[in-house]
Amino acid sequence: MKTVASGESAYHWVHPDDFREWVRLHKSREATDKLMTEHEAVSRFVADGDYIAYDFSSLTRGPQALVREIIRQRRRHLWICAEFTLHESALLVGAGCADRIDVGFLGYGDYIGRAVVEGRVRVFEWTNGALAARMLAGARGLPFMPMRNLVGTDTFVRSGARAAADPFSGDPVCLVPALHPDVFLVHVHQADVSGNARIFGTNLFALEAAMASKKVIVSAEEIVDPLEFRKEPAKTTIPHFLVSAVVHLPFGAYPGGVPGKYELDLEQIQQLNAIETEEQVLAYLEAFVYSVRSHAELLEQKVGWGRLADMIRRGSIREGYA
Amino acid sequence: MPDTMARFTETECMICLAARLLEDRKTVFVGWGIPQVVAMLAERLYTPNLTQVFEFGAIGPRPLTPFVRGTMGGPSNVYRSLQWTTMNWAFAYAATGYLDYGMIGALQVDPYGNVNSTLLGGSYDRPKRRFPGSGGGNEVASLCWETIVVLKHEPRRFVERLDFMTSPGYLTGPGAREAAGLPRGTGPYRVVTSQALFGFDDETKHMRLLGVLRGLSADQVTRGMGFAPVVAEKVEVLEPPTREELAVLREAIDPSRMIIGREAG
Repeated sequence: MKTVASGESAYHWVHPDDFREWVRLHKSREATDKLMTEHEAVSRFVADGDYIAYDFSSLTRGPQALVREIIRQRRRHLWICAEFTLHESALLVGAGCADRIDVGFLGYGDYIGRAVVEGRVRVFEWTNGALAARMLAGARGLPFMPMRNLVGTDTFVRSGARAAADPFSGDPVCLVPALHPDVFLVHVHQADVSGNARIFGTNLFALEAAMASKKVIVSAEEIVDPLEFRKEPAKTTIPHFLVSAVVHLPFGAYPGGVPGKYELDLEQIQQLNAIETEEQVLAYLEAFVYSVRSHAELLEQKVGWGRLADMIRRGSIREGYA
Repeated sequence: MPDTMARFTETECMICLAARLLEDRKTVFVGWGIPQVVAMLAERLYTPNLTQVFEFGAIGPRPLTPFVRGTMGGPSNVYRSLQWTTMNWAFAYAATGYLDYGMIGALQVDPYGNVNSTLLGGSYDRPKRRFPGSGGGNEVASLCWETIVVLKHEPRRFVERLDFMTSPGYLTGPGAREAAGLPRGTGPYRVVTSQALFGFDDETKHMRLLGVLRGLSADQVTRGMGFAPVVAEKVEVLEPPTREELAVLREAIDPSRMIIGREAG
């Protein structure tokens, strides 16, 4: 296949066979008890320099408690996959945890845009679809995925994609490299202690990312009996042998919502949207991340039962989420 | 005859003009932000059987109002969908030709309908301002049959040369999309603002002024633009927002006026 155009950016890359060997050596096939605290999960499975992906968005079922724990443990030089995201990139860059971002959607609010302008973080251009396609290639054990867009634009030029002559039609086709994140963070409705997990509603690429990532941390609103999965197997989103750690984190998407469980905390979201300066991001992190030792402490000391109860009350749409 | 005495904001006008472009019993890929509001208004008034498709995997929802700015995947956005799936499948519907229209916002647009949503000013490495980037916009503009671009009516947003081409219009002109490898027969269809409606010349693929808001002239709406659009032989008069459209926007979709703003005075 002859390459006809090349994007000029760096890209995170793991050879498919190297990934297969990682799976063989490090992902347990046995349904062991992987339940642990968020502190232990991040200590054991998130390292400085890791490439991190997550699902879904800051407002909806995002792994916010896990992201805050990464910030609390002050990981450095993370490279994040900013797919369909809003605030995670601002918080992780503001905290000095991330210095590279694959975009996707850079994030929302003035802070993250300024961080790029001021050179505090390096951005690599992709699209939401290209990152999802890269994840699909990773999940299929393929070196790359062909796709029909991205070509022709500056986004392509500033990405790590290639265009090649399709050996079948002869037409140019865009090729994006497989993505194998070091870590995938996902917050789910239900999990069992071994990592079998259910998401109700849409997701970006939960199964693809869990398959393609070396380490997978699942946080769950609810821990259920393993037998529940065998009773209704069509509802399983992620099987246990993809998963490294399970953390029981009710309200783990806070301040976002979880469909069918609770609505987002709009006041807190607006506070995040309004962050523009270094001082503001650090003040936010001090108030809601560094000043507490755990997600439970955040809920108890900073959020409070009244607000959580109100989020449950407003999350009144249940249809489809069971 | 629409009631032209109603007062309205620029954003309201842009949303209303855009909502009238969608076609019932078709499919539309809806981008983040203003396009969501446009699709909601259209569904309420003009296109009750339009299937809305969202990149995060919601196919054919009947979104509930009010709409909370910034949200996209929440339960009220995906209410009573036909299908809940995932991003790769949502884009697959576009890639296989099932999606008639796409609708996205833009920071800048050029004569061929190419779109910038990434950065303004400076260089790529040191832009003056950085914005979210493509999101799914590049997929929408590349893969849907006809793309509608919605943006504020600021002449400085219409530029001869984009600061960054995030998503493709007709690229450099006729045949350029196909030569780059984009699907045959796709491309920008309309560019709509609060004051003007543009299409594209069949031959040259150059932007063409099709309509202006009642009370404005072609000169007024194109003054200050970074390029001169072709002006259609007969420029259509675009009626301002009707009371009915404004009522749906203000009472149902955005009662807090976070998106549509408040009319001056």
